[in-house]
Amino acid sequence: MFSMKDGIYRNTCPRNCYGTCGILSHVKNGRLIKVTGDPEHGYSKGSLCAKGYAFTQYVYSPERIKYPMVQCPRGSGKWKRISWEEAYTTISLKMIELNQRYGSNLASGYNKFSGNLGLLHYATEGMFNSIGPHTKPIGNPCALTGKLAMNRSFGESFSSVPEDMAGSKLIVLWGANPAVTNVHQMKFINEARQKGAHLVVIDPIFTQTAKKADLYIQIHPGTDRLLADGIAKLIIEKQEHSLEFLEEQTTGWPEYKHYLENQMTIKEVCKQTGIELEALIELSELYGRIKPVSTWAGLGVQRNSLGSDSISAINSLAAVTGNLFIPNGGLYFMHFDVDDFPCALKNHKGPLHPTISEPREVDISDFASNALQLTEPPLKFLWIASRNITQDHNLKAWSDLFQELELIVTVDLYMTKTAEKSDIVLPAATHFEEEDLNVGYWHYWLSINQKAIPPYYEAKSDLQIARELTTKLNELSPGFSNFPATKEPIDWIKGELTPEIMDLYALNSYKDLLQRPYQKNIEKNFSTKRKNFHLFAANGKKNQMRERQAEPNGYQLITPQALLKIHSQYEALTWLHGRQDESYIELSAEAAQRNDINDQEKIAVFNDQGQIIGVAKINSHLPKNIILAHQAGNNPINQLIIQQNKKDDVSTYFYDSIVYIRKWSEANV
Amino acid sequence: MFKQLGYSFHADDCIGCKACEIACKNENQTPTNIRWRKVTKTSGDFFLSVSCNHCDNPECFRVCPERAFTKRQDGIVEIDENRCTGCQLCVSACPYSAPQFDPETHKVSKCQMCYPRQDAGLPPACVEACTTGALKLVDLNTFSDPEAVRTLPGFPNIKITSPSIVFYPEKPRKRYFIK
Repeated sequence: MFSMKDGIYRNTCPRNCYGTCGILSHVKNGRLIKVTGDPEHGYSKGSLCAKGYAFTQYVYSPERIKYPMVQCPRGSGKWKRISWEEAYTTISLKMIELNQRYGSNLASGYNKFSGNLGLLHYATEGMFNSIGPHTKPIGNPCALTGKLAMNRSFGESFSSVPEDMAGSKLIVLWGANPAVTNVHQMKFINEARQKGAHLVVIDPIFTQTAKKADLYIQIHPGTDRLLADGIAKLIIEKQEHSLEFLEEQTTGWPEYKHYLENQMTIKEVCKQTGIELEALIELSELYGRIKPVSTWAGLGVQRNSLGSDSISAINSLAAVTGNLFIPNGGLYFMHFDVDDFPCALKNHKGPLHPTISEPREVDISDFASNALQLTEPPLKFLWIASRNITQDHNLKAWSDLFQELELIVTVDLYMTKTAEKSDIVLPAATHFEEEDLNVGYWHYWLSINQKAIPPYYEAKSDLQIARELTTKLNELSPGFSNFPATKEPIDWIKGELTPEIMDLYALNSYKDLLQRPYQKNIEKNFSTKRKNFHLFAANGKKNQMRERQAEPNGYQLITPQALLKIHSQYEALTWLHGRQDESYIELSAEAAQRNDINDQEKIAVFNDQGQIIGVAKINSHLPKNIILAHQAGNNPINQLIIQQNKKDDVSTYFYDSIVYIRKWSEANV
Repeated sequence: MFKQLGYSFHADDCIGCKACEIACKNENQTPTNIRWRKVTKTSGDFFLSVSCNHCDNPECFRVCPERAFTKRQDGIVEIDENRCTGCQLCVSACPYSAPQFDPETHKVSKCQMCYPRQDAGLPPACVEACTTGALKLVDLNTFSDPEAVRTLPGFPNIKITSPSIVFYPEKPRKRYFIK
């Protein structure tokens, strides 16, 4: 085996996380001996998070998948090591046979999401594109609702520069918990606080960030829209709004003003949100009198069916106070500037099919249920990469879909619950074992990811797998794929750095990225001349809030991110997690009393989707109608999550499910 | 002593992210169950991040029958693992659970304040990892800040060993819960 040179390499954490942190990887004798933060990275500034500092264990964990394996029968746990050659042959023969059976590749498809966000991980998309029309996921289960709400407000995606938050005088976080999910942002927030800024957190859960806030306001889930409108109403009543900005740079001001003045009352706001008048007044005074204000509309706000309106209303509030486009003010959500890049793998053009012009698209936010509806041909082969489907909702549909599939291949680093249900698993490389290029979705830094160490056993990158599988397909069926298999990773990276991109990031060559990360020129976000912000008037929507909670004895299930995992990632690491499964179910003291449940007692949480058993933990600050559970683990809580009446073009509403609880006993198992 | 190196810990700025704790493992590659630094939540609902406090009067130093502990000129308390017989008297004596016994090697190890890094001009790994700046390195021989305090509720008794750590308490906050 070849050995990499000793030294320090530049890597980038590719997780679905705000940080996209720069890593310096210390390599000795071909082994990663430690990682440190890249001090040249302007956002993470030389630190990592706990998960990042556990990367040496992540790379060399004995739990990692070492070789391609086949499981026969599926789900039996009887795994047999096979060679890559054998894996490629089996998969290729199935794909070719399906093509012959149905006359196209529509019976072959993939499901890939956010396990690794590096640009070269679009190799999965590229691989499928290269075989012509196939079945592909579209959408974004995490953030689409918010993204579309941003587009309605701003006409494009918009998110201010995170480092600038350090200069704010007031920071208001709505449904965001950076102390857990975005730790590096906390240093900018603390810097602002040290200079006298106020931190306000609005959240149904008394989160770690809420505990750090100068002012914490607890709110009923889904009612953020009313709170934002209520604050705006009070500000306008006191003439503290930015009239000039509203008249000159927005649309919809008369309608919005009319709505706030005539179609809603502060009494209704207090009733629906659960917030007392004193708090509402305090917050409106802060918003009305302080500048600059940073407002962060968090992803948590849009995990329910009222989220779109809530994000629009929060954006409008930031506009009312004239804070949108001023330095150190602004509006934070996330951005999608990865779309500036060619994303050549994702956009690779495959061979034409004589009768089918387009791939078959399936909305990823209810993929299994949609895929089950497919006919002529049905979906028969599914490739799963960067994805653990137990983190999806509607797991019953997944179970049904798996029964219909003739071949399931999962590419992963660890034996996830998805891998356990597959026919073939292929060992994926960590980002230390492959080249990549990474763009953040929160900050605006671009950074490279060097190959620092040789692969762990037989692990391969998604790109390498795409190159080799398509070569095998063409060997067995000439012309099956047009994937440019001879192109090396560095060629793909250079291809992403077009003259326009280099100009945008002030780069001269990809080699510059070996010296440090580069920040995008983001003047557009500061422009005070922007026009046509669209204000949102929630006409006719005033009474839908409390009706949602009409379910008697039911509790709204909320499943936030944990500090030491990203969904199910990092679960296997003993540095981060104890041996026992920490399946705590948090409930309010009132809910515990009502159901005769004591702290630390075993309880069942259930609904029509199923039941899970956990240990009760009484959380004295939890609202009485909420149950809080942690994601992933041995018995994933997502088994109870289903989004009814699924519409297109929305995120998955993970926080809309209703559950019931009872004391657990052997008798009612 | 030329210096008394120690830590300053800002309870208000600590978010309990555990980066310091895992950065220590990353730097020193200690086995899973050996935790030279630990982040814990106090009953007051704030976090403490505690390692060896390189005390003025180190109990480990006093009780060790093998004289395995030494205190450097800069105040860092070191353990010479070659001398350690695994008797664990230091483990019982330390108020901060700093000495960590490894049943596999039958030896005690503990935080040495990353002195190889410090000798090379770098901060300890935990301090470098602290994204909010809650944990800092200070020289207590010269440190002076009227806002700093010697202990916080939940931190063990400091009278026995005089630990080399100073604290900044949390500030009061306003909270509105749904009634």
